[in-house]
Amino acid sequence: MPRKSKKLAAERQLFEVEARPHLDALYSMALRLTRSPVDAEDLVQDTLVRAYRFYDRFEAGTNFKAWLLRIQMNTFVNRYRRASRERQVFDGPMAVPVGEGVMSRASMRGLTDPVADAQRRLIGREIQRAFDELSDEARAMVLLADVEELSYKEIADVVGCPIGTVMSRLHRARKQLQISLQKHAVQLGIIEDDDTDIEDPIPLEAFRSRKLVKS
Amino acid sequence: MSCKLVRRHLGAFVDGELDPATQIEFERHLEACPGCQEHLAFESSLRQQTRESIGGIHAPEHLWGRAVRRLAELDEARAEHTSLIEVRPMRWRQTWPIAAAAAAILIIGGVVGLPESAEYQSAGMLRDVVNLHSQALPSDVQAEAPQEVVRYFQGKTPFPVQPATFEEPGMKFMGARYIRVGAQPAAALYYIRDGRRVTLLVFQSSEIVRNAQRTHVGGRELYYHNVGGNVVTIRQHGGVNYAFFGDIDRRVLFQLAANARVAY
Repeated sequence: MPRKSKKLAAERQLFEVEARPHLDALYSMALRLTRSPVDAEDLVQDTLVRAYRFYDRFEAGTNFKAWLLRIQMNTFVNRYRRASRERQVFDGPMAVPVGEGVMSRASMRGLTDPVADAQRRLIGREIQRAFDELSDEARAMVLLADVEELSYKEIADVVGCPIGTVMSRLHRARKQLQISLQKHAVQLGIIEDDDTDIEDPIPLEAFRSRKLVKS
Repeated sequence: MSCKLVRRHLGAFVDGELDPATQIEFERHLEACPGCQEHLAFESSLRQQTRESIGGIHAPEHLWGRAVRRLAELDEARAEHTSLIEVRPMRWRQTWPIAAAAAAILIIGGVVGLPESAEYQSAGMLRDVVNLHSQALPSDVQAEAPQEVVRYFQGKTPFPVQPATFEEPGMKFMGARYIRVGAQPAAALYYIRDGRRVTLLVFQSSEIVRNAQRTHVGGRELYYHNVGGNVVTIRQHGGVNYAFFGDIDRRVLFQLAANARVAY
């Protein structure tokens, strides 16, 4: 084997050892983003190819999984996502304001800690459905924060936006998930339709101006 | 501290992302407020249920093998072509405003060196153009379905994209995909001529023709940049750049760029 290909093989082995543990995370993210197993596999492969190509740019000591997810997110945006329209609906002037109280107490109780297995499964399915209805941006937020459990700083790196934006997007995404979940849960009779003590939503701008946490 | 404020930031509280002093204030409030406790229980429970129902997916078994084989193939190619140009990392800049002019570039095969000179303000874009040609990324629109091009790019690029057609019968459409040149959304259209690949990139930017040389071929104004032994040839039409590239003779490339039917 010529020296050059030997060197490449050694580097590749290193990359493979480091990347292998994150395959499930990459695939699960890819599947949730593309909603198609075939596209998800292509996206993961594209991501690994790009990551390997830029492997020398990875900063040792930082979160490798977050780095891979960032490459995947970027690849997804470039290849699969339709332009910027969705982003505007999510973040821009067309965004629907969400407040802090989207659900009544009774609804919350109905969805908190279901004891029966059957109900747990049912709610699980409804969460999936509500999740699938979210925009790309919102799904990414929920995945990175709630499933991959990345910190806001890491999410900001993955998505390429400031931490303040992560906070507002994540808040919005979770509330959208809750609203959609509640609608389905009511239809299925898991909870009662009860909209009496829902608080007034406050616009997101008001939240930004008195944000608690500095990024 | 009001209930409203606590509930508003409950997500960040559960995530452990509040600064320590605020975290303590929240805890104090929660101890004394059954209403907010209920919100907290719900928030935590939903978080848990979300993790359970949308997490825990395993990649199919063959996927790792498939990806690793692809990496090995790339290394083989790398070992053979030692002069492969450097590939730049992805960018995170999001520049949505559309530049004044859009250009088209036709690219034709081969690995080339690029001018290093700082005079080239558009060097980054040119490098992208050349890279996108030599990387030969997989197509999203296949050679057999050029009629899919228009629909595929709808909503992806801020301008309509049609597969350019050529009078020359030797130019064969090989596929297309969405890509970026610099920070601009772009259409990559792949062609083949005499066994050599020609890439046409369609995108908007006024930068790319800066410092470019100018020529007239068949009544059309063309811009070009010398890149190694080849040229990136740019034709502008309707505010869009059509950039052509490939390792074919520059006169042939000029002819292709001038005679291409880019919009119809």
